[in-house]
Amino acid sequence: MKPASVEYHKATSIADAVDVLSSTEDEDAKVLAGGQSLVPMLSMRLARPSVLVDINGLTDLDYIRRDGDWLSIGALTRSRAVEKSAAVRDAAPLLSEAMGFVGHATIRNRGTIGGSVAHADPAAEAPAVLCALDAELVITGPAGARTVGANDFFHGFLTTAVGPDEMLTEIRVPVLPAGTGCAVEELARRHGDFAMVAVFAAVTVGDDGRCTDARLALAGTNPTPVRAREAEAVLVGSGLTAETIAQAAQAAAGVTNSANDIHAPAEYRRDMASVLTRRALRRAASDANVVV
Amino acid sequence: MAEQRTASGPIGARIRRTEDPRLLAGQARYLDDIRLPGMLEGAVLRSPYPHARILRIDVSRARELPGVFDVITGAEVRELAAPQPVIWQQIPDQRMPESYALPTDRVRYVGEAVVAVAAVDRYVAEDALELIDIEYEPLPVAATLDEALAEDAPRLYDQWPDNKMGQHTFTRGNVDEAFTQADVVLRETLYYGRQMGLPLETRGCIASWDTYTNQLDLWLSTQGAHVNRDLMGEALRKPVHEIRVRVPDVGGGFGNKLDFYIEEVLASLMSRRTGRPVKIIEDRVESFVANAHSREQRMEVELAATSDGVITGIRGTVWAVLGGRLSGAACGPPWLSAAVMAGPYKVPNVDVSVVGVFTNRSPIGSYRGWGQPEATLVYERLVELLARKLGLDRNEVRRKNFPAPEEFPFPSTVFTYDSGRYAECLDLCLSGVEKNGWKERQAAARAEGRSVGIGYGFHVECTAFGPSRVLNAVGVQHSGFGQSVVRIDSTGRVTVYTGEVPMGQGIQTALAQVCAQSLGVPIEDVTVIAGDTDSCPYMGYGTGGSRAAALGGGAIIRAAEKLKKQIRDIGAHLLETAPEDLVIENGRVAVSGAPARSVSMAEIGNAAYRSVGKLPAGQTPTLEEREVMDPEDLAWAYGCTAVLVEVDRETGAVKVLDHLIAHDCGTVINPMIVEGQIHGGVAQSIGGALLEELVYGEDGQIQTTTFMDYLVPTATDMPPMQALHMETPAVHIPGGIKGVGEAGTIAVPAAIANAVDDALDDLDVTVTAIPITPPRLLAKIRAAQEQQS
Ligand SMILES: Cc1cc2nc3c(=O)[nH]c(=O)nc-3n(C[C@H](O)[C@H](O)[C@H](O)COP(=O)(O)OP(=O)(O)OC[C@H]3O[C@@H](n4cnc5c(N)ncnc54)[C@H](O)[C@@H]3O)c2cc1C
Repeated sequence: MKPASVEYHKATSIADAVDVLSSTEDEDAKVLAGGQSLVPMLSMRLARPSVLVDINGLTDLDYIRRDGDWLSIGALTRSRAVEKSAAVRDAAPLLSEAMGFVGHATIRNRGTIGGSVAHADPAAEAPAVLCALDAELVITGPAGARTVGANDFFHGFLTTAVGPDEMLTEIRVPVLPAGTGCAVEELARRHGDFAMVAVFAAVTVGDDGRCTDARLALAGTNPTPVRAREAEAVLVGSGLTAETIAQAAQAAAGVTNSANDIHAPAEYRRDMASVLTRRALRRAASDANVVV
Repeated sequence: MAEQRTASGPIGARIRRTEDPRLLAGQARYLDDIRLPGMLEGAVLRSPYPHARILRIDVSRARELPGVFDVITGAEVRELAAPQPVIWQQIPDQRMPESYALPTDRVRYVGEAVVAVAAVDRYVAEDALELIDIEYEPLPVAATLDEALAEDAPRLYDQWPDNKMGQHTFTRGNVDEAFTQADVVLRETLYYGRQMGLPLETRGCIASWDTYTNQLDLWLSTQGAHVNRDLMGEALRKPVHEIRVRVPDVGGGFGNKLDFYIEEVLASLMSRRTGRPVKIIEDRVESFVANAHSREQRMEVELAATSDGVITGIRGTVWAVLGGRLSGAACGPPWLSAAVMAGPYKVPNVDVSVVGVFTNRSPIGSYRGWGQPEATLVYERLVELLARKLGLDRNEVRRKNFPAPEEFPFPSTVFTYDSGRYAECLDLCLSGVEKNGWKERQAAARAEGRSVGIGYGFHVECTAFGPSRVLNAVGVQHSGFGQSVVRIDSTGRVTVYTGEVPMGQGIQTALAQVCAQSLGVPIEDVTVIAGDTDSCPYMGYGTGGSRAAALGGGAIIRAAEKLKKQIRDIGAHLLETAPEDLVIENGRVAVSGAPARSVSMAEIGNAAYRSVGKLPAGQTPTLEEREVMDPEDLAWAYGCTAVLVEVDRETGAVKVLDHLIAHDCGTVINPMIVEGQIHGGVAQSIGGALLEELVYGEDGQIQTTTFMDYLVPTATDMPPMQALHMETPAVHIPGGIKGVGEAGTIAVPAAIANAVDDALDDLDVTVTAIPITPPRLLAKIRAAQEQQS
């Protein structure tokens, strides 16, 4: 478990980092953020970049800002900082709750939200919760910055919209409207493990008690995080009764598409998507002051 | 009730472990902390195939890599070394495939070592591995027990007609008659998954072969210094006086560091060839294939009983899922499972076999519990299932089948249990459960619709392993005695040299307590030296089988007795009195009833070494005694575990809410250390019961080679733990000491399985496979629910 030899570059600016990424011959340079996923992969020689671009010195990528109806988070912001941020809790409490499920505190102290998103593990919390929140991801490359919606960002297992000569620089989250209740339900073998299945739910309830908006995203069930659109459709316009919640839970199970693995057969994940969706919706509803 | 022992001396005292400040401050010196001048680091290339013929090995490119000093293959090993020794040969006519440290023609499991490299550092060594070119011809794979047993199974060894390694049957009474006449017969097939001991410090060795003197210096992260020296001598065809084994601080043992492996042989050979010390440390990923696996067995069993719950017979087969070659422990643990299948119960008729089966998996070796958790799963599941079937109280069924205290020494199927008060231990456990209000907690939870259950597991534990004649009688090709030297120096301080090996269990503190009590000196004056074949006395076997306190301690008690005679003789001479009139207390030798007339141990030491003129006539200078402890028989500890668990019926997840064990390990030397042993064992067995499994795919590839896939319990998985002590002295061990190393580990999986059934009693679920994973349990729950509707 010793990495193969690799060139190390400490980036001095975003432009410098992008410059190295785009000038590496085999397009195999890698950004080093918190190292919580990359370093084990290097050690097991599963990742063998020719150059490591260390962005830990780029303090201008480490921030959490509220700009009106948007929350902006720098890619290098540590997961723990996101979890603990009052601004995040205020704007998108679903994100705060979700970050608490990422590994253990020591890992969140080092690991970055940008790294988690760029790494795109299908069972990771950050990618799925950002899909639920309709976040936007800012990618910077030689031609400048571009923005991709979270639901278009994840292309497959560990693959994203970020090109080899680009890096993720910012995560933009729309502020949740008033009257929104949130809940995360996660089933993991142990506290701190990647999810077997996790459900991220946010429901917005109007004055008449009817659901005006619903977002449901799943992690661990598909090669990428997924939105359970059909289930959301069941909820919108409904009164969030036990029946509609059960119906939505059923529909959520329908979007799962996982393979059997050592922790669970595919059917188990599908069934759990339904159980956890129901639990998450009940809690989210009660968070929005609806009695189910 | 729990004996509330008030310690009058060091034995029984809650003394903090003297080892800990160093360990906690990061001052321990583990194997990887040792750096010898000119030392090379090794790495091992392992088979990516579960079963394949090796057609060609080309190491030329690796040899050319700058920084590489040696590359060794199976063919070269064969010229320099003998086959790997296997000391566990207890199965009559067991098949013994000859295997060397590296194979030449065939690999039989993923991770089997094929080539080793020594280079300037581990980075270069791993680079070199990538340059080795091996041509394999994949062979059909026997990835599972059933595949290995199939009529047309691919054979792992061409010289034998099938994949069976051997069979041993234990019988007693007339089992057929018992089953014909039984009122009830229960049948179960229980599966215990593949798991392993996982010390935080992986295995490692440093070999330094002096090519001028032929002296081989070895540093091993091991549980047995002397046994490894002997086995190394065998493997290298080298007289043992040319080998010295030293054991630095060991970051966990758990049995797997008792077994003899190949890496130490490879490091020695590469050191010999390069003239430089060579270090090989197994990395974490390798550890999941190269470290001994354990536990995996299928147990098909039947129980015969009367309608009032008296067990009349057990019969069945333990199918041991061995690997592609034999470890030094061979089929030992499954053999013990079969041998102790009657557990703590009086079972007059027995017919239990163990069958070892080679498969294309990693070899099976030692792991804390050593076949006993598996056996306990059988007998403790069966006893509760019997009670359920008969509508009797499960603990009444247990009680009904225990031997009474006056029936000891109690001859069980294979072994004789030396002493025990089983019913009292059960009562102690039940009173703990009552005191802790578990029944109320269960009732309250159920009223809220939660599924909470209570489960019990009563176990017996083979300790003080072991008496050499017993070991030899059961086929171990090695001795088992303990040995200690107790020395008082010229300043009156005491040094104990023991053959036992510390691995974090606190044995230095425990042995110092025994010595301090036996000699009548303060514990601060006792130093325990261990883990060096040059300075410590020879010991049989290694520190495993819950033996160090009993055999190491027993030897100290006897040596101290002899030493005290010398102290008294010298003291009597100095004090001008008779030796019989002297008492030795707190480091002073005093005239009984006249404490003012005394000399200190320092004065005694001074007389023995320096002012020799003060010695009585005929007294030889120096103060030292040696004692071999080879008891007549084993010591059998026992305990009753209870757990409170909660099951989530929708997910199949199980959480252990509370834990309690009433246990008896004979004389408790230090309750804090005993509890520490239990806590660690409980953690491992909660992992074993719910989380840990080495999973192989259908293709024979192992799928669990990181801590992301092989799940060990963390703090959040642990319930509160409580231990209630009882002390029934061991019969054959001085001081009445039994062992406790495996007490926490053995019964927890059975107790959890029983508790899960209890939590789901309305569904009549029977857990039959360990670990109880959420998908496995949910499938059972769903099946039961379907059956009901
Ligand atoms: C024991 C353990 C448990 C864990 N449990 C969980 C868990 O439960 N849930 C979970 O979600 N995660 C978990 N993780 C992973 C952890 O959250 C990682 O921190 C995260 O996945 C990666 O973040 P990082 O900053 O460490 O990225 P790194 O490891 O540095 O990088 C990861 C990948 O992302 C790329 N990358 C990083 N930053 C950027 C960027 N700005 N632009 C482009 N590419 C970039 C890297 O090149 C690399 O390919 C766990 C990790 C450990 C060690």
